[in-house]
This record gives sequence, structure tokens and C-alpha cells, in this order.
Amino acid sequence: MTAEADVLAELRRLRVRVPQLTGAFAARTDGVVLAADIGSTPEEAKERAERLAALTASVLGAAAQLSGVGGQGGFRELLVRGEQGYTGVYGAGPSAVLALLAGPRVNVGRLHLEARRAGARVGDLIDDALGALERPEAN
Amino acid sequence: MANTEAALKEATTSIEGVLGAALVDYTSGMALGTIGGGKDLDLAVAAAGNTDVVRAKVRTMEQLGLQDGIEDILITLGTQYHLIRLLRGRGTDGLFLYLALDKSRANLAMARHQLKKIESQLEI
Repeated sequence: MTAEADVLAELRRLRVRVPQLTGAFAARTDGVVLAADIGSTPEEAKERAERLAALTASVLGAAAQLSGVGGQGGFRELLVRGEQGYTGVYGAGPSAVLALLAGPRVNVGRLHLEARRAGARVGDLIDDALGALERPEAN
Repeated sequence: MANTEAALKEATTSIEGVLGAALVDYTSGMALGTIGGGKDLDLAVAAAGNTDVVRAKVRTMEQLGLQDGIEDILITLGTQYHLIRLLRGRGTDGLFLYLALDKSRANLAMARHQLKKIESQLEI
């Protein structure tokens, strides 16, 4: 979890760049939260992110299957439009996702552009951290 | 009457100096269609960015209490003109046509005139 601070910094940067974001977190595809910026206190962020990450993990399986069975390849991203806003899930490397909550008036074009970039960076940060864990002597 | 693809094609053939054009939904910031563009002009980025421009102007007019609509927005760069025309026909609310023009080749008056004509023929 050495990447947590870097990932959190990336989430905060994303919230500055897309002001309509109301929350963001990064999680492993199995539902374990890596970093969260989604509540007024760290405790609240942790609780909300854990609940949402667990749901995200179960939706991801169905989404990947839907995409695969439809002949559209592996999972890249998912956008759900609710009555009060959007929930987006973007791939962040092979083992993690970036999930975002946004208000109903968000610029979806910008949301996609910024979230794809951030997802790729979060994926790199996690890969670097995993690489460092596997090669402790290298540090 | 022309569909999105035909209207964008018409824009590039009837207007001199077009570098790229897009029909953008500014409620979502996404393009319904694009033509031209490329490495130097990413039209997905332009669609999202100019959505912010349009929304900012709409909000400013509300705050100023202006009971009026935006016909077009012109942005003049060193080497390009960027022209945004808000559509107001039936079924085209919340859309704008975006045009990037090479300043040295474009005739601004003609471009605005042609764009108006393309808008009147556009059917979504």
C-alpha cells in the first residue's frame, strides 16, 4: 500500500480538474479500497468507499462478461446515469479501477478524458508499488 | 435536410480553411459527430473544453440578467479562428457546431454565413 498517498494525490487532482465530482476512490478489482476521497472525514471516506468498492467488484464481473460475450473485448469503463448524477468506473491497470461520483450537470466528455488519464496514472502507480513489493531488495 | 455527417461534410467543403468541425451536445460535453482534426486538434478535447466555454457564457448571461440567447461565439487565435454556433432549431436544443479555421485561408463573414445555412438544413 505504499502507493496510497500518490493515488490519493491523483484523486484530489482529479477533483480539482473536474469540479462536479462529488467523490472518487481507487480499488482493487476484488473490492479492496486502495485510496478514497469521498467523504468529509477519513472515517466516512473509508466507510463509503468500502461499501461502494464491494458493489463495484460485483458489477465489474457482470460488465466484463457483458462486454466479452457481446464480442467487445475486456473491460475498459462503465458509466451509470442515475436520477441525481453519474457513477463512473474506469480501468486502472489490470488489477484496479478508478471509481467516480459526479453531479447531474457534469461535463461527461471532460469526465471521460480526465478519468481515462487518471486511470492510466493510477494503474502505473499501483504497478510500480507491486513491482517494488516483489523486488524488496531493489529498494 | 442533412444529417449530422452530411452537415459536417458540407461545412468542410463549403467553408474555406476548415481544420476540423464537430457537432457537440453541451449538456454532456460529447460530440455527436466530428470531421477533420487529428494529432494537432483532438476534437474530443475540443468538444469537452468548448462545452465549458458555452456553459460559462450561458451562466454569465443569466447572472447579468440578459434575456437573450447566444447566436455564436468567436475566438480569435494567432493563426486560427474558432467559431461556435449554438443551434436553436427543433430537436437541436443544447447543441453547438464547432469550427476550427485556418486564419490565413478563412473568410470569417463567409464562414458565419455558411454555418447559418448549414444549421438551417441540419436534421438530428
